[in-house]
Amino acid sequence: MGTKVIKQIAIYGKGGIGKSTTTSNITAALAEAGYKVMQFGCDPKSDSTNTLRGGDYIPSVLDLLRENARVDAHKAVFEGFAGSYCVEAGGPQPGVGCAGRGIISAFQLLKQQEIFEELDLDIVIFDVLGDVVCGGFAVPVREGIANHVFTISSSDFMAIYAANNLFKGIKTYSDKGGALLGGVIANSINTDFQRAIIDDFVEKTQTQVIEYVPRSLTVTQSELQGKTTIEAAPTSEQAQIYRQLARNIIAHTESKVPSPLDSQELRDWSSDWGRRLIEEETRPRRKARPRRAAALAS
Amino acid sequence: MPINLKTPVVESREQRLGTIVGWDGSASELARQSAYARGCGSGEGKGCGQKARRICELEGPFTQGSVCSEMMVENQAGHILDAVLIQHAPIGCGAGQVSYNLRFRNGLAARHKPVQNIHQICTNLTERDMVFGGVAKLEQSVRDAWERHHPKAIFIGTSCATGIIGDDVDGVASAFEAELGIPVIPLHCEGFKSKHWSTGFDAAQHGILRQIVRKNPTRKQDDLVNVINLWGSDVFSPMLANLGLRVNYVVDLASIEDLAQMSEAAATVGFCYTLSSYLAAGLEQEFGVPEIKAPMPYGIAGTDAWLREIGRVTHREDKAEAFIAAEHARIAPRLADLRRRLEGRKGYVATGSAYSHGLICVLRELGIEVNGSLVFHHDPVYDSQDPRQDTLTHLIDTYGDVPHFSVGNRQQYQFYALLQRVKPDFILIRHNGLAPLASRLGIPAIPLGDEHHAVGYQGILNIGESVLNILAHRKFHLDLAAHTKLPYKKWWLEQKDPFALAKRVE
Repeated sequence: MGTKVIKQIAIYGKGGIGKSTTTSNITAALAEAGYKVMQFGCDPKSDSTNTLRGGDYIPSVLDLLRENARVDAHKAVFEGFAGSYCVEAGGPQPGVGCAGRGIISAFQLLKQQEIFEELDLDIVIFDVLGDVVCGGFAVPVREGIANHVFTISSSDFMAIYAANNLFKGIKTYSDKGGALLGGVIANSINTDFQRAIIDDFVEKTQTQVIEYVPRSLTVTQSELQGKTTIEAAPTSEQAQIYRQLARNIIAHTESKVPSPLDSQELRDWSSDWGRRLIEEETRPRRKARPRRAAALAS
Repeated sequence: MPINLKTPVVESREQRLGTIVGWDGSASELARQSAYARGCGSGEGKGCGQKARRICELEGPFTQGSVCSEMMVENQAGHILDAVLIQHAPIGCGAGQVSYNLRFRNGLAARHKPVQNIHQICTNLTERDMVFGGVAKLEQSVRDAWERHHPKAIFIGTSCATGIIGDDVDGVASAFEAELGIPVIPLHCEGFKSKHWSTGFDAAQHGILRQIVRKNPTRKQDDLVNVINLWGSDVFSPMLANLGLRVNYVVDLASIEDLAQMSEAAATVGFCYTLSSYLAAGLEQEFGVPEIKAPMPYGIAGTDAWLREIGRVTHREDKAEAFIAAEHARIAPRLADLRRRLEGRKGYVATGSAYSHGLICVLRELGIEVNGSLVFHHDPVYDSQDPRQDTLTHLIDTYGDVPHFSVGNRQQYQFYALLQRVKPDFILIRHNGLAPLASRLGIPAIPLGDEHHAVGYQGILNIGESVLNILAHRKFHLDLAAHTKLPYKKWWLEQKDPFALAKRVE
């Protein structure tokens, strides 16, 4: 059993923002590069790891708990693309039970049975549902679990609102040994204007963009085959961007306490950008220049 | 590795040991299915693999009464002399404070210690806290605990409510530990986490092992034995003094220093493996303090083996043998007299699991017939996984089988048929709620409020005297039976099988 420190990161973001897609591509890129990596899906829908397993759903930790008085958590670990490990926390049907408690239970089972240590992992990536709506969804950012949190956001206001909420959660736990913020994965960034919005948001909240990821048809085509872009289109430009994102995450060491905007600041900020958006709409759209994330300090 | 102290949350009994709360059959069949000393068909318990035992469990359609893991945290962490227990819970969880205060005060008086009240604070969570989180109240309560009592440690027991909303109790504990400079220990004891309350013992002991027991002690106390017990009278000190050993009673009525020095002791024992299993195994695994691997000190054979093992581990074999011989000689005349007077009597034991195994040994030593027993749960193995601790097999091998050995978590409605099956002259109990039903059947009960009453050689005589005393009340109980009736319908009273409802097919 290894004694090394396992790098544990949590990736949060609003539902539908491309969180699982991006996380799975990071996992695939790291596995392909020789890292022992586990992706841990924390969404009751249990679909985080699908594209690592050819579109297959896997039984979740909580499926085991539903069916057995005693749970062998090893049975919830499945192998995915390039030797990566896939786990889904699972959860109740929509509208019943408590999904937040589900995440707590699933985490405890894996930690008590020392699954991460047994597998001698280098990195565990938690793919966590949307907003931090209750204590259960904050578990990955708490003491002793994730070391770094990244949030995925597009330039859409609702995605930024979710990211700002997450920053509040991180700030709450920051003085109790919780995980700090590594940065924002800027997703679906295809124009300079979208980039400008994200850049302004990270500047205001005192964080950084870890990588800009454009929207790409290659991703959709790969997902329709039940695969990550790394697997389905390994030589594509998009795969290279995901590989760079994975390298940035592995190289990242220093996370910080973010400075979330309060409700009024967020409203003012968004209405200001709303005005600039109307101005922008009156001008012809330009394509974003392909460039590396400028803010990568580490 | 049987015990995992890396995470603040204890693994439940059913997960670690395969604990069950419903079963009916003979003791020998239960021992076979437990696959402990009886092994997995090979005669070697080790071959079964850790955490591997599975016993088919009877599940009834309802539960008439039980106890919560959180209450076991109250009776352990809440009964430490210079600590405070904060119950991070709605006020209902604090209802037990009244009865636990009584036990604490009585226990202190029995041990000739200054009598004081428990130091427990309930955060009194309300609807608003469920919605917005209860951490602020918890922080306030930790400050209150510190300002009022200046304790040596603060324990924080969780509740179902905080477990569901996911309050970050671990984070609060870490922050205050740094701020106050004393251990602040989260104890995860949500009632829903385990089917049996004894997981609450483990939760308290888990926190003590992680944050109180002295790591890397600079001295070793070769004459100190940790005795894991509750509030029982001081029976172990005079007994072990014969071997030149001192006693460190834990967890109840102990100080934080008593708990911290457990890692310096020469050995660990307990009065009941149900209570001591986790802490004793943890002390051996983490701190190298040997747990005594023997049957428990009940009946002559059990006490002999227990003392010999303590003698071996602490290098006092000669003293142990001398004490055993002297005690055999001392009790022999009175034991012979008691056996003569108790001949033909039938007893029934309804207590916690391992304790029942010990008590049946004592009754059988007195020549009393024991055809049935109710234990409130059953652990197929204990945390040490060592077959020498298989108390059930020790009972069967030494004193013979118990034909009606039932596992059920204190269900009154089952107790009627359980007693009808064997028609005892008296019952031995420790927990409340069982004596009234027996009395209404004309059966007197011996309530073992002092759990050490039956321990060792003297314990055999004590129980013999108690049985004689209680049998003198038989007429009173027969009168009670003649003038009372049971609250059950005729249909249920006619059922021969106490577990009929669990086996019923709709």
